[in-house]
Amino acid sequence: MREVIVAEEGEILDVELSENLLKMNEELASKNRELLKKHGIKSVEIMGSIGSGKTSLIAEMVKRLKEKYRIGFIAGDLTTTIDSDRISKNGVDVVQINTGKECHLDANLVMKALERLDLEALDLLFIENVGNLICPAEFRLGSEKRVVVVSITEGPFMVVKHPFIFMEADVAVINKIDLAEAMGIEVSKLEKDALTINPRIKVVKTNCRTGGGIPKVIEALGL
Amino acid sequence: MHEYSMTVSLVNAVLREAKKKNSKKVLEVHLSVGSLSLLAHEQLKFWYKVLGKGTILEGSNLRISVEEGEVECEDCGYKGPIRYEERLYDHLFFPTVSCPRCGSFVKVVKGRECIIKSIKMVI
Repeated sequence: MREVIVAEEGEILDVELSENLLKMNEELASKNRELLKKHGIKSVEIMGSIGSGKTSLIAEMVKRLKEKYRIGFIAGDLTTTIDSDRISKNGVDVVQINTGKECHLDANLVMKALERLDLEALDLLFIENVGNLICPAEFRLGSEKRVVVVSITEGPFMVVKHPFIFMEADVAVINKIDLAEAMGIEVSKLEKDALTINPRIKVVKTNCRTGGGIPKVIEALGL
Repeated sequence: MHEYSMTVSLVNAVLREAKKKNSKKVLEVHLSVGSLSLLAHEQLKFWYKVLGKGTILEGSNLRISVEEGEVECEDCGYKGPIRYEERLYDHLFFPTVSCPRCGSFVKVVKGRECIIKSIKMVI
């Protein structure tokens, strides 16, 4: 039987606290950022919905940047290594994080992944988050820049439905631009939506299947 | 989406504080949740109830208050509530990081936290 204790007057204590439960991730993210900075590594996190083209974008950027930088890649996925296999073909140092059932990466998982990479041998790091437009907005990983990828096939309201991730990102990539006509989507509207939410965001239109627009993404990231 | 893990942290923190004070029963926990965090209140309450079962938190009340988002503009010096974009014809209402006064990018200074404000306990 469970003991039940009934409160009595005069014995109640009100403990004042100011403990931020989201702070731990923020602190770890700062540590990651400092660690990367110390090693002179530029870092870019790629967020976006499932199938929007995050891995294709990274693969296309790696193709163009692998002579200029020594590149590392942290891939977040639930259970597979499909994405990391695609990128490692290019001679990139890859660490896979399988989150199991977790819907996003967090700073702690990235910290563990960083331990597995030879940071002395890297100049540029891409971190691909799990396909999700919600949770990654809340959990910063410590990268210098954040990119959000959406694609035409996700419909005309993809941006305004997920304001939080666009508030957080430095660059918004609108992918599969070649399908705009077939899908009946006005790309300028998506672009305007992103800028309404975040006037500083840089919007780039791409077709990651052919490599269209990729140089502009690289430019927007200052790489 | 991550109310479960957040509530695990919450319950652990409350149990730790209660232990410090040798409390045998927690009556109420006051949690302040930022309007720009992505935490759903109903789910926080649900997990609080489930995770508190069999502990000194069982039967206690989780009181949640909202801390509104606040932003700061580096260009014009505005400091105050975040601007929401309203598009009534699409039933849309969403926060923006654009300055309500000058339209520049603004920094969020408040509204992203999830803070345990106080714990009422029996000692």
